[in-house]
Amino acid sequence: MARLSGEELSTLQDAFTRLLADKCTEEQVRSWMEDRKGYDPTLWKAMSEMGLTSLLVEERHGGAGAGIIAVERVMEQAGSALLGAPLLASAVMSVAALQASGDEDAQSRLLPQLASGSLVATLLITSPEGDWTGKTLGISAERRGDDWVLSGASGFVLHGRGADCWIAVANTDSGPALFEIEPSSHGATCLALPSFDHTLVLDKITLTDTPARQIGDVGSGWQSIQHALDLGLVALAGEQAGGAQRILDITVDYANIRHQFGRPIGSFQAVKHMAADLIVEVESAISAARQAAEKTDDGADDAPAWRYLAGFSCADAFVRSAADAVQMHGGIAFTWEHVAHLYLRRSRADQQLLGSSNYFREQYLCALGG
Amino acid sequence: MTEQLPDVETVRQEVRAWLEENWNPAWKGEAQEGPNRVAWLTQVVDAGWAAPQWPKEWFGREFDDARNRVVREEFARVHAFGTGQDRTNLWINTLLAFATEDLKKQLIPGLMRGEVEMCLLYSEPGAGSDLAGVRTKAERDGDEWVVNGQKVWTSGATRADYGMLIARTNWDVPKHRGLSFFFLPMKQPGIEIRPLRQITNESHFNEVFITDARAPAANLLSNEGDGWKVLVTALAYERSYMGEAARGPRSGNRVKMAEGEDELIALAREAGKLSDTSIRQRIAQVIAWRKLNDLNTARAKADLEVGTSASIMSLGKLAMSRILHETARLRTDLLDAESLLEGSENPRAEDANFLALNAYFTSIGGGTDQVQRNIIGERVLGLPKEPEIDKAVPFRDVKGG
Repeated sequence: MARLSGEELSTLQDAFTRLLADKCTEEQVRSWMEDRKGYDPTLWKAMSEMGLTSLLVEERHGGAGAGIIAVERVMEQAGSALLGAPLLASAVMSVAALQASGDEDAQSRLLPQLASGSLVATLLITSPEGDWTGKTLGISAERRGDDWVLSGASGFVLHGRGADCWIAVANTDSGPALFEIEPSSHGATCLALPSFDHTLVLDKITLTDTPARQIGDVGSGWQSIQHALDLGLVALAGEQAGGAQRILDITVDYANIRHQFGRPIGSFQAVKHMAADLIVEVESAISAARQAAEKTDDGADDAPAWRYLAGFSCADAFVRSAADAVQMHGGIAFTWEHVAHLYLRRSRADQQLLGSSNYFREQYLCALGG
Repeated sequence: MTEQLPDVETVRQEVRAWLEENWNPAWKGEAQEGPNRVAWLTQVVDAGWAAPQWPKEWFGREFDDARNRVVREEFARVHAFGTGQDRTNLWINTLLAFATEDLKKQLIPGLMRGEVEMCLLYSEPGAGSDLAGVRTKAERDGDEWVVNGQKVWTSGATRADYGMLIARTNWDVPKHRGLSFFFLPMKQPGIEIRPLRQITNESHFNEVFITDARAPAANLLSNEGDGWKVLVTALAYERSYMGEAARGPRSGNRVKMAEGEDELIALAREAGKLSDTSIRQRIAQVIAWRKLNDLNTARAKADLEVGTSASIMSLGKLAMSRILHETARLRTDLLDAESLLEGSENPRAEDANFLALNAYFTSIGGGTDQVQRNIIGERVLGLPKEPEIDKAVPFRDVKGG
């Protein structure tokens, strides 16, 4: 892996910021909320050309090999703008699962396309109940001669409907294994879930004797998914930190211009003190997400503990910032037209997406030996 | 200049060898006071390790931060104190920023070696959170200033050679503009010290009554009327320090801990509550706050190095308040009825109760959490100040008390 230099990272971030300012405005985000795909393919193409989809892919497969540190920083900006593209699902988690699978054939077939953004993939991880621990998988695989067929269902699949390739973890007689599924295959249906966060594309996928191509070693499928979840959690933490920072900025700006009792509401201590408490949470979230990225990139022994810490700290910071933002804005933020609820919805979704804060706090204590 | 610096590994070897030759681990408890403290600090200063980042004039080596950090790491490795004064020595940092060359030369060497003791003369009975409302006055008399008034919350007053004093020198201008900042000699007849008994049943703080005490004109920092500016700088140092470290339990009781284990986990295990889900969540949360405060501080310092703003530095004290209060609540909840007791025969309860009370040292001292939130809101986030009715009024017309 070749870490980006500070300068390279800044250049990339500047370019992404300009792109988001142009193609991921609030108005555009709202238009995707009404759109089945949930994102703008031309924005995705521009992001790919900028190299954002190739960051995690190794150089030998046409990627930048920049690693999770760069991904985390980019996700901060994505969260800030409420980006609704499959960066997490495809460019981070699907890539991570494939790279951990050790399957050279699948890697050389899929990774170059994922790196270039021409292919969008997503992972089928949890049963329809929503469980990212691997205890209950919703899909089973059965051998038919030399081939495999899958049956069962997976819930909370990110961008299932827009993906060109589904990668599922399924139970076999010899333990979990990874499988590649073409969405148009026999017996495969994709049902849009009514996501509370309208900027988040969530689907339920049902498979009935659906043909699939097996990836990696049978029995080690969960390890690949775990790696995807590890990197996904860091990326999600970045998104949460970036989102938390942005909604606080929006709120502070408003507190400076909104006047009541003849003065800016931000001059009242009741409002000012909420903002002061929030910046402690927001700066801590940024520290947590970046530390988790550094430690994960280093492959440090204590990397899991830092990821768990980021898992709940960033999630809670985002929810609190967005929730307090509504309160601090007052009535204007109780309207659909105001942006605050978009952040509140995203933050509440992100807090559950790969596991809850209470779950990560428990895991954190376990990782510390408690 | 950078080219001439030894490489980082060479620095590490040099410090390590020097410490092996000179440091005695038996002295490690003497960082604040002790019979060997001055002799050791003198050795550290003369060897150039006290503040490696400073110029040679102030016993430094003109190191950059990377080399400075190596020195700190090597000192910490063997639990030696005395380095890092460029970051922690409030008195010297204040002098370097605002004192005349003569006063610096007079005081800095002794301060670095621990020969000169200091205290703070800021708060007054009528000026706590509203520190700019102090009424202790200093009047010019020839080459001296004559000081009268009363100060409070002064720790180390009986030992101090000088106090950093904020006093009013002009009553005809609004409150922030009539203040001046002095190094007031403490060993003189006009200084009377009375200890305060604190809620922890200790006496670290004092009241100081000042009657016609005298300070040489050369002991004025910056200019007459610029005292608020000096004070704000000195307070920022003090607060950032309070955000990084706090006093621990005082019983001396040690719970059995596994290697690298957090004390709260060990205490919960000892109390038979490590399987309590609610307790587990709270322990994880408070440890996380602690780790995040450390990370924020580290990030603030890294930002300082590259010359950008370090606004998150001012968040540390507020974050630390929450950590200390929640840690004490948690330790109390682990004990149930045992927490009704105190004293050396009940060390766990003694510690939980002491920490519950001493947490206010950080959440009130150096500026209350509420004042700190104002500062963060205004200076970090750029929110407007509240209207201040005494802002433009000559101080002699301001209602006090």
